[in-house]
Amino acid sequence: MQPTLSLRGLRKTFGKLVAVDDVSLDVNPGAVFGLLGPNGAGKTTTIRMLMDILGPDEGEVHLFGHLRTRDDLERVGYLPEERGLYRKMSVTDQLVFLAELHGLGKRESLPRIETWLDKVGLADRAKVKLEELSKGMQQKIQLVGTLLHEPDLVILDEPFSGLDPINQVLFKEVLDEYRAEGRTILFSTHVMEQAEKLCDHIALIANGRVALAGRLSELKRDFGGNSYRVRARGGLSGIGEIPGVVEATVRDDTARILLAPEATGDEILKRLVDHYAVTEFSSEEPSLEEIFVKAVHDAQ
Amino acid sequence: MPNKILTITKREYFSRIKTKGFWISTILMPVLMVAWMVLPSLILSKSKGGLHLAVVDETGRLGEGLVAAVDDLVNHPELQVVIDLEMVSPTPDLPALYESLDQRIRDEEIDAWLALTEEGVEKNVLEYHGRSVSNILTLESLERMVSRLVRQDRLVAAGYDPEVVADLTQGVDFETIRVSDKGNEADAGWGNLALAIGLFTLLYMAIIIYGNMVMHGVLEEKSNRVVEVMVSSVTPFQLMAGKLLGIGAASLTQLSIWIGSAALITAPGLVAALSLVPADVALPQLSLVVVGHFFLLFLLGYTLYSSFYALIGAAFNNPQEAQQLASFGMVLLIAPWLVFMPILNDPDSTLAVTMSLIPFFTPLIMMLRIAVKMPPAWQIALGYVLTLGLDILMVWVCARVYRVGILMYGKRPTLREILRWARYS
Repeated sequence: MQPTLSLRGLRKTFGKLVAVDDVSLDVNPGAVFGLLGPNGAGKTTTIRMLMDILGPDEGEVHLFGHLRTRDDLERVGYLPEERGLYRKMSVTDQLVFLAELHGLGKRESLPRIETWLDKVGLADRAKVKLEELSKGMQQKIQLVGTLLHEPDLVILDEPFSGLDPINQVLFKEVLDEYRAEGRTILFSTHVMEQAEKLCDHIALIANGRVALAGRLSELKRDFGGNSYRVRARGGLSGIGEIPGVVEATVRDDTARILLAPEATGDEILKRLVDHYAVTEFSSEEPSLEEIFVKAVHDAQ
Repeated sequence: MPNKILTITKREYFSRIKTKGFWISTILMPVLMVAWMVLPSLILSKSKGGLHLAVVDETGRLGEGLVAAVDDLVNHPELQVVIDLEMVSPTPDLPALYESLDQRIRDEEIDAWLALTEEGVEKNVLEYHGRSVSNILTLESLERMVSRLVRQDRLVAAGYDPEVVADLTQGVDFETIRVSDKGNEADAGWGNLALAIGLFTLLYMAIIIYGNMVMHGVLEEKSNRVVEVMVSSVTPFQLMAGKLLGIGAASLTQLSIWIGSAALITAPGLVAALSLVPADVALPQLSLVVVGHFFLLFLLGYTLYSSFYALIGAAFNNPQEAQQLASFGMVLLIAPWLVFMPILNDPDSTLAVTMSLIPFFTPLIMMLRIAVKMPPAWQIALGYVLTLGLDILMVWVCARVYRVGILMYGKRPTLREILRWARYS
């Protein structure tokens, strides 16, 4: 299977700052791919390089099975992190214009615009100027503008930042629909819970490098072997100091602990029994947050 | 790909054509033009509200001549002098009379008074009191008229026949004939000058207005962050090219309407039919050649300055920051105004030729020269080629800076940083 998007050894420096360092990724057709990482990790720079907004110092971008050309970008829908549209244009004019830039004529785009405005509940605002709409409405229009030309690949940079709760739900619904149609979605976020709910594949970026990448369920299974839930009568204070425990979250008499890769569950249980009155000890799936923290920790 | 430039061009064009401001200024300008051309002559011919001058003729000889000379002013509208004369008989107590005339000036019954005295004639100094003494044109004409009368008076006193003196001291009027390749033609005089000034001013205004429109358009896209989504579907060069072309097309639309209405207004038949202007006032006439040069020079100048303004818009975050560099462009556009008069006076001087061949000034100065007196073809061609060369260089440099600048927010860049952007691969 040809990956929809393939980044190969991308590197970008700004003066002395290395923003992106040897980033390679494959995004397969139909995937919902999460590009995760803290602010300043290099996510936006990576996305800008794949959109040909920035030229990489090194590396290549392959789209739809070949080296990316400008024409390929017409099959991509891009929602930038910094959003904005022409304030003085009417909603319809704006959307016709955006569609035309993606090679979609007015005759084709008008019925689609009608359908979309209906879907996002703005059918009665078609002739209104953008500046007369609320910020939430403008965000909906921008999402419509991103998807109007029915792109095969959708790229969303921090799509949920600055969205009101109603739009968050709407955005998720629309993305679910898109996934159901077998299209490919790549989005970046620094909020792990969102990624956990939406993605099937992820790449963790830290300090411009890919710290970890793969199918979410596999990553969890790999990490899962080393994450445990512990319950003990009389509390679990100091559990983080037990040799072999990398990280511990204690709440009342229960704790979630992450073990070092070389440590095994029974080994740790033996040590725990020496210190605490253990009533429960079970293997648990780690949260993405835990995976991320560990990956960044390992990378340093 | 050129499709995308066209898409952007269309958006820029229609978003500007559709505004009320565009049509208000488009229609207002010809109205102002008519007012500017017609009003002065209307005021001249209709108004009796010139200088209300009281004259005390103590000599008893000069007054009569002055009345005749003032009456004759009607035949010289080009002097733009209107005097409303009131003869005051001298009284034995002249200082008291002068005092009462001063009072009449203060009461605004008259504007000024002039005393023609024997003593004054002898000393070559006549006394003139006025509420305003800065109406130079009127004062000069008056001085000339009185001087002639005094000279005639002295000749008569020396024993010459008054009629012979009148003949001998008669002045002349110039009938100006413009010599061009097409043969000699009776010149429109001030009308031709007005045409040159008008085209020069229009060109200057159009370059500034539309250059600034480009700058503000880019700044707006940047501060709105529209540019983020734009650069994902078009290259920065396409975005800039589309903007320059779209706004350029809007400006051509407006200028065509202006020039078209100017041609209509000054068409001899129409003017005569409406009898807007007294028959003896010549109006300037637009020739097709001059109009053609006007549009070519506009395109050369617009490309030069608007690409520079696009660079400024891309480099900075708001109009305040942009102002400093934008005023540099203004300096280049204002410079032609400083040499405006000397070039009108002598359109073939070294100054005029040199200035018209410096690409930054070519659009404005060459327009002035063409309107006043057609320069040699080689000079026009050289000016065009040099300016076109600079245009290409500017667009290239500005597009490179633009490409980097539009995605730089926050900090105000230094000039050195902006120049470095141009060198990025």
